[in-house]
Amino acid sequence: MTEFPDAKIYLVDDDAGVREALAWLLRTRRLISDGFDSAEDFLAGAAVARQAPDVPCCVLLDVRMPGMSGLALFEKLRLLPWQAAMPIIFLSGHADVATAVAAVKRGAFDFCEKPFSDNALVDRVEQALRQSAAQLAERAVRHELQQRLDSLTERERDVMNLVVAGLPNKLVADQLQISVRTVEVHRSRVFDKMGVKSAVELANRLRDA
Amino acid sequence: MRSWLGGRAQGLGHSPDTASHRDGLSVVSRKHQGGGFVKSHRWPLWGALLLLVAALLAVLVFLAAEYEVGRDQAALDQDATTVVGEIRSALLRNVQTLQSLNAFSPTPTGWDPPAAELLAQRRELVRLEWRDPAMQVLAQRLSPYRPDVFDLLPRSQALPEVRQACDAALRLSGPAYSASYFWPKRDGRGLEVMELCLPLSEAGESRGFLIATYSLPAMLAELTDAATLRGRGLSFVESDGARLAVHSVVPLQRRTLSAHALLDLPGHTLLLQLESPRRALGLFPNVLTGVVGALSLALLAVLALLARDMRRRQRAEQRAADALAFRKAMEDSLVTGLRARDMSGRITYVNPAFCQMVGLSAEQLVGSGLPAPWWPPELVDEYQQRQAVRLAGQTLPREGYESVFRRSDGTRFPVLIIEAPLIDAQGVQTGYMSAIIDLTEQRRIEELNRASQDKLQATARLATVGEMASLISHELNQPLAAIASYASGTLNLLQQGPDRGEDPVGDDIERAIRRIAEQAERAGRVIRGVADFVRRRDQVREAVEPHLLIEGISTLLTLQAKKRGIRLQVEIAPGTPRVWCDRTMVEQVLLNLARNGMQAMPLGDPGTASGLRVLRIAIAPVMGEAHEPGTGRCARWVRVDVIDHGQGLPPEVAQRLFTPFFTTKAEGMGLGLSLCRTVVEQHGGALHFEPALPRGTRFSFTLPVAEAHAAQPLEAHAA
Repeated sequence: MTEFPDAKIYLVDDDAGVREALAWLLRTRRLISDGFDSAEDFLAGAAVARQAPDVPCCVLLDVRMPGMSGLALFEKLRLLPWQAAMPIIFLSGHADVATAVAAVKRGAFDFCEKPFSDNALVDRVEQALRQSAAQLAERAVRHELQQRLDSLTERERDVMNLVVAGLPNKLVADQLQISVRTVEVHRSRVFDKMGVKSAVELANRLRDA
Repeated sequence: MRSWLGGRAQGLGHSPDTASHRDGLSVVSRKHQGGGFVKSHRWPLWGALLLLVAALLAVLVFLAAEYEVGRDQAALDQDATTVVGEIRSALLRNVQTLQSLNAFSPTPTGWDPPAAELLAQRRELVRLEWRDPAMQVLAQRLSPYRPDVFDLLPRSQALPEVRQACDAALRLSGPAYSASYFWPKRDGRGLEVMELCLPLSEAGESRGFLIATYSLPAMLAELTDAATLRGRGLSFVESDGARLAVHSVVPLQRRTLSAHALLDLPGHTLLLQLESPRRALGLFPNVLTGVVGALSLALLAVLALLARDMRRRQRAEQRAADALAFRKAMEDSLVTGLRARDMSGRITYVNPAFCQMVGLSAEQLVGSGLPAPWWPPELVDEYQQRQAVRLAGQTLPREGYESVFRRSDGTRFPVLIIEAPLIDAQGVQTGYMSAIIDLTEQRRIEELNRASQDKLQATARLATVGEMASLISHELNQPLAAIASYASGTLNLLQQGPDRGEDPVGDDIERAIRRIAEQAERAGRVIRGVADFVRRRDQVREAVEPHLLIEGISTLLTLQAKKRGIRLQVEIAPGTPRVWCDRTMVEQVLLNLARNGMQAMPLGDPGTASGLRVLRIAIAPVMGEAHEPGTGRCARWVRVDVIDHGQGLPPEVAQRLFTPFFTTKAEGMGLGLSLCRTVVEQHGGALHFEPALPRGTRFSFTLPVAEAHAAQPLEAHAA
């Protein structure tokens, strides 16, 4: 049915009519959205403003709002470490196009000019979600690798570094001043813990991360 | 006055350039110096004159005194002669008396009583002797008054003098006198005496001599008239001046006159000296000197008065010359043209400024009649009429009237003419004096001001319309966005629904909804078109010095501030960098905020006395923003504050402040602040407000620094 059954879309717009209409349009495309009527409201109420998202997400941000403007909110969100997993699409009136373009240059995912035509906006939202999902996946892989690395003992890490550098067991044993036998034990444990079968695979894994 | 003006003008005509003016001034200064010389020369002259008069007076007094002395001397000489005469006649009488003594007493015994009587009568006689021809004393008698004369020395000691007298008497066969001689006395003093020898004869036979001894002092005392001698000194003197016998003396300390007269006696001559004290002389010893002195003084006084008058006149002339120079310098320095005309409209005087204005020299102008050479040919008729009205005696407007003149090169220029009638000393109007002010420059400045204000206002109008269009488009875009969303959503649902097969109603609905979406989009395009049309103006970004933002609108602001009695205070922090902005739009923002600020301070609130009727505009760089670590001290933003001291904003107003079409002013559109925010946000800055201290509101907005912008093209700024 849809790519992102659990994706979350944050709608930040002061106009309730627009908010509702957008939410309804997104629902017709099986997308769940959450509405906020101001930037302050978003910062206070959205979980994603405080911690990294665990599902693909996307923020639809109106440029012009009373109180904190969409741009100001963007400046704040931009500094979050998980910003890449939380693409931001600006909703701009014609007058705000310049502002929106500037925002895109500074890292926003895109902007859509009101009134939006048919499903273009939703298509962009789905692309944003895709990016978010990719970011989340990457984060997960990196997270797992980190966890695996964390489970290694100090000695195992030393052995791994030398093995990845391409040294045979004998030289590793010489350098660490331990017996070749011990090196072999460590090496097989490292492979176990990192979930790889060969030194090449291990090197690839570490390089990708 | 008029002839002077005319003459002046002609004089100017010869050399109307500034060099001649300098010459004129230097002539005056030379005159000053000349006056000084005369003054310094005059004092010795005056001194000489005074000395001369004094000398004249002294000579006069001296001569008068001399004359007086001469008169006194003559009188003294006369008196001396008189005294001598008196003495002589008294001695003659004595001779006769003595002759009769012996005639009536021929015997020595009979001689004695009359001789004693005679001695008692004649005090000048000291002793009488009767001697025989052999000089033997027959009888003798001493004066009862001086019995002691011959006590010290015997009479015989005087014999030589007696013989001398008697020899002379015999020679002359008459009485004769001996030379006088000093006869000392017992008391240490002495007496100058003189012998008279009277030969006695009877029938041609000598019977001896009668010797009379005269005391010279007694002679002077007894034989002279005491009245003529009062206060005078009388004495017998020798030819060398030694006094022989003194009757009286003039006190020594006084200057004296002296007269000498010879007392010629047979056998001897005595010199009589009459002395008289010189009379003390007054300053005006007589009428003549008095009159001459008075005349001289009168002359001096007249001279002094004359001199004073002359000096006064000279000073007056100097002042007049100074005033003339002053006035000339004043007229020459004026940029206002001056022109005098007589009643027929002929020029009698023009100043250099006027000559310069019309481009004609003073010679060409003075004397020229109507139509004046500076009248533009096309306006001659109108000006003639105006002249006629003026001649008809109509009063001239004090504030002047405007006109158009023509330069010699044919260009026209506007002038303001202020005219006043010229009235001479007799109270008769002789013409007009006009001051002419060239309005060219003023017009140009007015034109410039108007142009810049027009431009500002046009920009303001355009910006307002643009903002309105943008606001309307935004406001309309919201519902249109909703409509489009619903339409798209509905279409989504229709397409996702179960296959309807041939369902004409469903198709119709789907078509209608598609139309709805299309129409919404079309409405959006229309709005966009309108907004584009208004916003066609390119946004020009440039590096602008902060003070230039104020300068462009300061005229307008100052005007409004003055009208409301508000002081405008502009502070630009030193070292504020240039900002990257669209100058005209930022000017609009400042203008709007400042105007709002001033409108927040109606007259009387706050009161003038509070000192708070101030609108402050402060421009300063923003240092070290929290969200931009590592920028160090290099400011990326410039903040502009506009602070009023009005009532402040009530919360309900503050909440809706930026809401489009929200306004607290009767004639406002509610777009000003909205426009300000749009402009500031377009620059990447932020506009916000907060209460100010002690009262009022502070509106602040930020603009990017031009240098920072160059480093990083565009960045949004959150407050």
